[in-house]
Amino acid sequence: MQVSSNELKTRIIASLKLQDITPDQIEDDAPLFGTGLGLDSIDALELVVMLEKDYGIQIKDIEEGRPAFASVRTLAAFIEAKRSS
Amino acid sequence: MAPRLPVITGVGLVAAPGYSVSEVWHAITMNENGLKPLSLFSSPRYGHIPVGQIQIDLVKLGAPSRGSRTDRLGWLAAREALLCSQINLTGFGDRAGVLLGSSVGGSFDSERFLTQLIKKGKMRPRPTRFHECASAVDLIADDFGLFGPSMAVATACSSGALAISTAAELIQAGEADVMLAGGADSLSRMTWGGFHSLLLVDPGGCRPFDAGRAGMSLGEGAAVLVLEAEETARRRGAKILARLVGWGASCDAHHSTAPHPEGAGALAAMRAALRRAGLEPGAIDYVNAHGTGTRDNDLVEAKALKQLFGLRIPPFSSTKRFFGHALAASGAMEAVLCVEALRRQEIPPNPGFSAPDPAIGLQPVTELQRARLTHVMSNSFGFGGNNAVLIFSTPETTADTVSPKPGIAAITGLGVIGPGAITIRQIEPPLPAGKVLTHDCGPLAEAASLSANQRRRLSRMVQMAILAARRSQTSGRPGRMAVAIGTGFGCLDEGAAFLENLISKDEREPMPTRFPNSVHNAPAAQIAIDLGAHGLNCASTAGEISFETALWQAMSQLSNGEADCVLAGAVDELNNYPLGIGQRWRLWDEQTRPGEGAVVASLSRSEPASIPLARVTVVRLGRYRRPFDAQREVDWITAAVDLKTVNILLSGAKGWPALDPLYNSVAAALSARAGKAIEHQTYKQACGEFYSASAFGFAAAVDLARRSGRGVLLYTLSSRGGKALCCVQP
Repeated sequence: MQVSSNELKTRIIASLKLQDITPDQIEDDAPLFGTGLGLDSIDALELVVMLEKDYGIQIKDIEEGRPAFASVRTLAAFIEAKRSS
Repeated sequence: MAPRLPVITGVGLVAAPGYSVSEVWHAITMNENGLKPLSLFSSPRYGHIPVGQIQIDLVKLGAPSRGSRTDRLGWLAAREALLCSQINLTGFGDRAGVLLGSSVGGSFDSERFLTQLIKKGKMRPRPTRFHECASAVDLIADDFGLFGPSMAVATACSSGALAISTAAELIQAGEADVMLAGGADSLSRMTWGGFHSLLLVDPGGCRPFDAGRAGMSLGEGAAVLVLEAEETARRRGAKILARLVGWGASCDAHHSTAPHPEGAGALAAMRAALRRAGLEPGAIDYVNAHGTGTRDNDLVEAKALKQLFGLRIPPFSSTKRFFGHALAASGAMEAVLCVEALRRQEIPPNPGFSAPDPAIGLQPVTELQRARLTHVMSNSFGFGGNNAVLIFSTPETTADTVSPKPGIAAITGLGVIGPGAITIRQIEPPLPAGKVLTHDCGPLAEAASLSANQRRRLSRMVQMAILAARRSQTSGRPGRMAVAIGTGFGCLDEGAAFLENLISKDEREPMPTRFPNSVHNAPAAQIAIDLGAHGLNCASTAGEISFETALWQAMSQLSNGEADCVLAGAVDELNNYPLGIGQRWRLWDEQTRPGEGAVVASLSRSEPASIPLARVTVVRLGRYRRPFDAQREVDWITAAVDLKTVNILLSGAKGWPALDPLYNSVAAALSARAGKAIEHQTYKQACGEFYSASAFGFAAAVDLARRSGRGVLLYTLSSRGGKALCCVQP
């Protein structure tokens, strides 16, 4: 099943309480961490919680999630791969 | 004056693998760790994961049945340390104190209350009496008759080490001859759920420095050392176990949980400890590493060790797998192991290590080893980039420890986030419902000046502290900066929200942002990040004298030349907890209203370029006796302050009603002793009643001293038994 990138962006904004930012301001390929949105390791953990709550995907080791959190596009692909496996 | 060198004459330890120092050392020689699946409370998601839980009923070991689990652990370690030192405390009176690190205090017991509240809607206020981190300190002081300085240090995982170094400074400064110092922490749902929410727990048990390490193991326990001035120990013929020759503290000022990637803070703390001890790195024979087993900590600690020691890295080990990481107790437990290592001339091993990590490039000691040990180092690093390092030496060494130069601090700036108008706060059921008139800070007007990340991530209480700290800054670069912030309850809102969510959702959907925000040192750590303060970073607590404990730390940093500028302050927030408890005890009435706020003062030792607001000349901490004796209090005050120089006594009266007659009797006795009228003034009618309200008293004292041109005595009594004195001069 295709993951809507707009829906994913909305969920990222809500789970991280990002202020003054709308889904269309986040590029699909822009880096989420470091530069780009400037997120950090605690935000990554919030995304882990969001993935479990909204998509039923459990991550037990943050190393596993690290490549997936590169951008919205990689995260959507990760969710799709997890759902179909 | 000859330097007052701190020596160790007693040690006590209770942990999962053993309930005394010798039992624990026996477990170490047998290479037996205490990690087993959790049974202390139910954990639907993580109960199978090994943890360093103490399996025996603590009351059976002789601990008092009152108090929290943490209180009992601390009490047991204190009793063993006192027996070991063979000291008779009755002769010491005001000259003996207690200082423990704690990160969760009585959380385990108050969580049971919270679980009932959430799941059954029932309220039992008793367990919450022991919730505070200072609870163990008060229990020990009352039970063993200690009337010297007492406080709890709450800087997460470095608390135990920082408590020991602070106790050493109290002895060096001449404020005490004997200090019980260490740390105590019990397991709790809060920290259990918290570290799991950060994905920092290794499901197979921690493997420090190993290539396959995947996190820490949690544990619980307590350790207490008897620190004495060397002359006191020699006079009573005590056996000296070891010397504490060096200690150093620093702050990464980098991130709330992640260490500085190059280990800059860890390195700075180790260097500061060596400097204080007058030792070169090559003199260190063994390092007890922090070594939690998380990927980041061990890598960064190894980097710092390599930078400090170069190619000649002394034997090192992390002993965390023996106990689990007992948070605030851990630094004190490892200090006891260092003393034992010196006594036995043996190096404890690093269980859990099997495969070297190429990224680390270092191998710890893996089996108990005989060695010639003269100087050993113990590392403790905590949340908020809070680092503390201790150096112990054999009794035969001649210590070259730097002595403090006591002096006066100039107040160069004062930042206050105080109550605006009087508002009405609603207490939410299932707490007793109702409305209370409060002194509330309301919306924070300057919050817009905070960064986007500070606004979305930090709690209101931490924001209050940052804004007060910013207001205390005057122009010009202050040089090396340290931060000491007192708090009575800590970040209760964050902790309560995290726990309520954890309990009501059975550990699903945790709140990883809230957990690091819930530690007592979150305000101090975030101030350090905001202002780039890399010196000591301390959070301390002791009921109504919480602010003064921070002020004492600040003065000590300046006296010891460890900082050019120290931000000393306090913060507490108003929420349903103090509102509800106060209402139960019928505390809130027309005269006494609950309040909140943050105050930060910028202090410097050298005379600043511009005229300071005022000067702090004296800060003293202690405990009062029951029945209360006003003449004894006046003796205590006049031992430090010349009454000719003061005209006003500023007290915490008109808050907690039981304290009012005590304050009034001291005010009367003080005037009689001075032979002149010393005016008794109060401040709580303006800021409301809360634990760190005396920080507002301090701000008022600065204002009064400036306007009157006369000295002001700030005298504070704690409902928990502590007392504090601060003298502000124009």
